[in-house]
Amino acid sequence: MIKVSHLRKEFDLSRQQQKELNTTDKKALAVNDISFECQAGKVYSLLGPNGAGKTTTLRMLSTILTPSSGGIEIAGIDAVKYPQEARKKIGFLTGSTGLYARLTPIEIIDYFAALYQVSNKDRDERKKYLFHLLNMEDFLQKRIGKLSTGMKQKVSICRTMIHNPEVVIFDEPTSGLDVITAENIIKLIRDCKNQGKTVIFSSHIMSEVDLLCDDLAIIHKGSLKYQGSMSDFRQHMEATNLTEEFIRIVQR
Amino acid sequence: MIFTIFKKELIDTLRDKRTMRTMLLIPLLVFPIILTISVNVSSSFEKKASEEKITLGVWGDLSGKYIKQLKQIPKGLGEMVPRSFEDSTKLKQAIENGEIQLGLIIPKNEENLLRNKVSIPLTWLFDASEIGRQERAESYMNVISDNAESIRLKELGVDADKLHPLVPVYENCASDKKMIGQLAGGILPYIFIAFGFIGCMYPAIDLFTGEKERGTIETLLTTPVSRWQILVGKMLVIVTSGMLAASCALIGLFVSIEFLDIVKNQEILNIVHGILTPMFILSMFSLLLPLVVFFAGVMIPIAVYAKSFKEAQSIITPLNFVMVLPAMIGFFPGIELNAMTAAIPVVNIVLATKELISGTLSFGYYAISLGVMLILATLSVFVSYKQFGKESRILN
Repeated sequence: MIKVSHLRKEFDLSRQQQKELNTTDKKALAVNDISFECQAGKVYSLLGPNGAGKTTTLRMLSTILTPSSGGIEIAGIDAVKYPQEARKKIGFLTGSTGLYARLTPIEIIDYFAALYQVSNKDRDERKKYLFHLLNMEDFLQKRIGKLSTGMKQKVSICRTMIHNPEVVIFDEPTSGLDVITAENIIKLIRDCKNQGKTVIFSSHIMSEVDLLCDDLAIIHKGSLKYQGSMSDFRQHMEATNLTEEFIRIVQR
Repeated sequence: MIFTIFKKELIDTLRDKRTMRTMLLIPLLVFPIILTISVNVSSSFEKKASEEKITLGVWGDLSGKYIKQLKQIPKGLGEMVPRSFEDSTKLKQAIENGEIQLGLIIPKNEENLLRNKVSIPLTWLFDASEIGRQERAESYMNVISDNAESIRLKELGVDADKLHPLVPVYENCASDKKMIGQLAGGILPYIFIAFGFIGCMYPAIDLFTGEKERGTIETLLTTPVSRWQILVGKMLVIVTSGMLAASCALIGLFVSIEFLDIVKNQEILNIVHGILTPMFILSMFSLLLPLVVFFAGVMIPIAVYAKSFKEAQSIITPLNFVMVLPAMIGFFPGIELNAMTAAIPVVNIVLATKELISGTLSFGYYAISLGVMLILATLSVFVSYKQFGKESRILN
């Protein structure tokens, strides 16, 4: 479970950034007082246009960034006070695979298992399960730099799940991927949900959200514009389709 | 956890061809290549210059005694063919044009001067920009001069030994080790510092800026490992790389001396062997280690700050000159390790290493040098830690 309360994030602007943004403000507000809850066994979607604050929010949830104010609870742990403890419960996956090109899949998986302090027995069991599930046996000894995008994505999924996290955070996981590769991610999100994990993912594609999520929040310019269940969203929408309704809410 | 990160980063670094080139290959090969080329080229030039059959333009009598004497000199001093010139200006021109290699002007009244027992000026003309020409003129002059001197002394009935009441004997009291340390000792710390820096450069950029560029840092930061552990793990790889590069340069130098027959003098070779003791190497590495940590500590904040590999490279490369330039102080004679120079970073390491080779390093100055570098290394690590902790720095 994820609990977010009155989350706020400000960034200091350098002179160069002030010039680029044509502003005299010394700070930029990326996330402004947002609160929401993601339940275990459900998929929560953070929907918003580019620059809305989705990535900043997810980076705060995964403890890469420290909030300016507000609270985050990850699987019962105060993630602001005890970020290292919270990280043990989190699996984090982005669209850019974030893999080391000169290492092999097996080396990367072993490395991350060691970083998450997974015991050798658990690591071997998880590896066996994930390699079989993702059909990775054929390219385990090849260097990442020589793999296709689809293969890299599978390694990335395996890396994210090696410590069997309770909470899985996906930051635009299908962005830049072809349909077949994106299907692996969609399957993974469904599997996580079936296993009772808490899943949050960000996207700007309404069809993807419609396909997967139970609850959603629409974020724009750092503030929440809508939050509720997907079924409520469908029931109360004023536009003719989901995408138009999303645009209508954002422009409101 | 630090070891896990260190191990992974080391494997990753060792598989990077660019880093391997700068860390191992170049330092290993640079000395054997440079020394082989320079020794062979200079000895071949010297050999060519001494073996060259030259034309000696003579303004004066070709059948005179001096030319006769020169014709009889051993071939080892260089063969010569005399050619007569009517005009001293033409003789000079012929040398300038490269038509002839040496010129000799013998005064027309030479016989009179000789009879009157007056000094005879013999003017040698040569092109000093050509290797070995002046030496050849001097060796010819010595032959003629020695002959003339012994004839003159015989005529005067003077014993050569009685002519010189004082015979100067100059004796160098410095040990050969000290001499080598002072004359050639500057090169070793220079090599170490230059390659230590270069060895650190690519891993520092790759492990920080590279991770930012490739987006892998984000994933690494979501693991339950603290940032200082990540920093230390990565820093250890950078320091290892710097030390490896410096060690490879030393191995390259050792191989050149030992197997490429560069040092011909067996005595000097024995002294070099005497210097390269385990204690010496250990002491030198103890000086080098904090210096390399300092280099890593200076590079990491830059690599963390830079947004791309190119940007990091464009900042660190000029820094190379700033860091390595003080290392050249070792080449200047007369600058010694004292309380003041021991407090100047980089310079202290150069001078301490130089004195270490000479065997004259005092423990007090060694301790000051080491202490200064340790303080700087600690400071640079602290700055790196602060920079690596900044959110705005580590995420692009």
